[in-house]
Amino acid sequence: MRKLLLGLSLFTVITTLSACMLGVNDDELSVTVYSERHYDTDQALYDAFYEETNIKVNIVSAGADELINRLDSEGEDTQADLLMIADAGRLYRAKDLELLQTVESDELNANIPQNYRDVDGMWYGLTKRARILVYHPERVEVDELSTYEALTEEAFNNRVVTRTSGNIYNQSLMASFVAIMGEEGARDFASGLVNNFARTPQGNDRDQAKAVMEGIADVAIMNTYYMGRMLNSTDPYEREVAETLRVFFPNQETTGTHVNISAAGVTRHAKNKDAAVQLLEFLSSEQAQESFANANYEYPVNEAVALNPLLESWGDFKAQDIQLNALGEYAYQAAIIMDEEGWE
Amino acid sequence: MCDYMFNKIKHHINVFSVTSILAAFFIVLPLFNILLELFTAPSSAWLHIREHLLAGYVINTIILIVAVGVFSGIIGTFSAYVVTRFEFKGRKVLSWFLILPLAMPSYIAAYVYADMTSYTGTFSRFMRSLHIPLSIDIMSMPGVIFIFVLTLYPYVYLMVKGALSKQSASFIENARLLGASKVRILVTVVLPLLRPAMIAGMLLVVLETLNDYGVVAYFNIRVFSFAIFDAWFRLGDIVSAIRLSAILMIIVFAVVFIERMIRGKRRYTIHIKTKPIERVYLKGYKKIVLPAILWVIMAFAFFVPVAQLLWYATKTYPLLFDLNFIYLVINSLSVALTATFLIVFIALMLANFNRGRQSSFKKSLLKITNLGYAIPGAVIAVAVLVFFIDADTTFYSIYHWFNEDSPRLLMTSSLLMLIFAYVLRFMAIGYNSIEASYDKIGEKFTEAAYLLKTSKLKTLLSIDLPLIKSGLISAAIIVFIDVIKELPLTLILRPTNYETLASQVYKFAREEMLQEAAIPSLVMISLSSLAIYIFTHRKKKGVVKHVR
Repeated sequence: MRKLLLGLSLFTVITTLSACMLGVNDDELSVTVYSERHYDTDQALYDAFYEETNIKVNIVSAGADELINRLDSEGEDTQADLLMIADAGRLYRAKDLELLQTVESDELNANIPQNYRDVDGMWYGLTKRARILVYHPERVEVDELSTYEALTEEAFNNRVVTRTSGNIYNQSLMASFVAIMGEEGARDFASGLVNNFARTPQGNDRDQAKAVMEGIADVAIMNTYYMGRMLNSTDPYEREVAETLRVFFPNQETTGTHVNISAAGVTRHAKNKDAAVQLLEFLSSEQAQESFANANYEYPVNEAVALNPLLESWGDFKAQDIQLNALGEYAYQAAIIMDEEGWE
Repeated sequence: MCDYMFNKIKHHINVFSVTSILAAFFIVLPLFNILLELFTAPSSAWLHIREHLLAGYVINTIILIVAVGVFSGIIGTFSAYVVTRFEFKGRKVLSWFLILPLAMPSYIAAYVYADMTSYTGTFSRFMRSLHIPLSIDIMSMPGVIFIFVLTLYPYVYLMVKGALSKQSASFIENARLLGASKVRILVTVVLPLLRPAMIAGMLLVVLETLNDYGVVAYFNIRVFSFAIFDAWFRLGDIVSAIRLSAILMIIVFAVVFIERMIRGKRRYTIHIKTKPIERVYLKGYKKIVLPAILWVIMAFAFFVPVAQLLWYATKTYPLLFDLNFIYLVINSLSVALTATFLIVFIALMLANFNRGRQSSFKKSLLKITNLGYAIPGAVIAVAVLVFFIDADTTFYSIYHWFNEDSPRLLMTSSLLMLIFAYVLRFMAIGYNSIEASYDKIGEKFTEAAYLLKTSKLKTLLSIDLPLIKSGLISAAIIVFIDVIKELPLTLILRPTNYETLASQVYKFAREEMLQEAAIPSLVMISLSSLAIYIFTHRKKKGVVKHVR
């Protein structure tokens, strides 16, 4: 017993001491990214970046809100140079909390269209995804589909599914409606949609597609890349679902399909600002964009880059014409409306 | 007078009280920041929550904890009773198998069951192939209860089994001699004696349930832990999140208070030399039915999800050969072992400190040190982070003096912060199970040793430790498994580039890549299972001592 105790105590002391050393950096030039992304293919890009620039990329990955909160708490002592998040609304929050700084780069401006970067250059979009309708071709005629708003009509009663109101993509979708239609219009949409829900919102985006396949509902609102991922799933039954269902880009005749981005911004207290800007430029370059976007079946923001064949097959579409900062500006209002209209 | 005071204080200074006071101090300090937030004016988000959401949160939370508590109490007590009182084929295996579901993190069970019952899942496909139009909606309140009961009942099982194997046969034999029926013995003798263990186990189950975020978020069940994250992330209002945590803390204290009240002043100390109970051979239909029930519980709680994970793993096994994978294992293990040792050590000091004469000072100190368990991981994470940043800023001049290039956030960027948070969070688990064992042995041996002028430390090492060894070990198992499964603290507080198995599972699951999550999940489950195996099959003086 005593030997065991002694051994364990020693072990504890050693681990704790070595733990203290872990945070100490060596002299190598590096850039630390707080990121929501974690695709295996990204590492290959970071390796290529290292080859090219001799700058090592360190990744800390966690959820967007945890990262923002950590950045906020760490203040000027943070190790993070770049914050990378898959929602424009959350980037707006980071900007609002004064966690980011302005970057001016001709290369970034050339690579990234104006509506996919912040007006003050605090964040730059890297990939985009559309929130689309997915339907079962045997139960829905394409002619029946037109806009998001049309899903609130009587004809779709008990036929629509989507995720919960807590989901960031739905929150941003609602925020975009507040920006476009004003509070009343957005409220009408939310209450009409809740009225037409085939079930209480639950599960993730793939679950919505499966609910349509199963016949619980006929139309699902979900992100494009989940269809891409399901088509390439290791599970043959998931592939079957994705192969059976069809995608529809709503609001093509009107306000455009809702688009969100994953984007990155240099942190206000970045220790390696130049390296961080270099990494941003690299990730927005033609060379990197293809694999960066393809890792998650997303659309590259750099328009010079060819689309993935799957996205290509879905064709061109018209996106909402709004400054993406709006997704953040109206996020809180959108959340309140969803709660008040009973969107669980 | 002064001399008297000094002597009085000196009398109270010993290794137990000093460690306890230090521990309480370090635990309360970070939480203080959080509590201060409570005194700020309510935000508009709070008014919104109060008007539209709060009632639902309260009702759902109460339904959830009552149902999970009661059902896991029943399953845990029943299974512990069957394996300790009856002899049947497979009993020895079952007696430790029944602990295994503890190795299955609730969130993994939830992901797997949700997937199995989804349209493309194994279960739904099987039903369709039989042309049975049965689809199960697991993402519902009954579904959540099912998941929690199956993954958490072992807490009750462990506690009750521990108590049963210590229970003296004489009570039962006396009752039998007096002509009491079997049912009467069960209801009037066995169960009342088990009540403290049962309630302690159920308390752990309820606390774990209240703290879970993974399952309720995935299933969209609107309980408090869900509400806290919802207010924080969706409404972007951390003050409301903290207010909700405060309400949760009140609920938890109410639960703990009820437990103490039920336990009352009675101390179920048995002063008789215990004589183990002879197991009765099962006969007739019971020989089939009782073990079958246990195997069915095991199947749903462990074998089915593991089999499903193994099947996913066949499709993604190359991940296992990734060089980084070994680091995940090493990271998870070293952090979990360190935290476990620290927790058990401090809990032991606390438990010793709490023995002897009771005082309100002792009581409040213990409440403070057990506070962590009542607060959701994410809130603790914020508290600890802010605390460490403050500490680093204060001590920076010292770091600088030692090493000119020292980073300012030395401790914050180290593992120390994560380990500290684990200790804060899981202290109550370690403490409760150690306290329960002290409860059982009573204080007479210790008092005798003190009367013989043996030092406190020596008494602890040579009298108490051997007596409560099995309690210590079960405390260590539970804490180890809890730490290795822990999610929110790990995610938020780990140092740069520091990945553990749990963080890896979460990453994949969040991206809806369940098949890829299978390998790290299985490794995590295996490690915890191994811990359970080692602890249940440890050797005593060269002889394998099977769990009884």
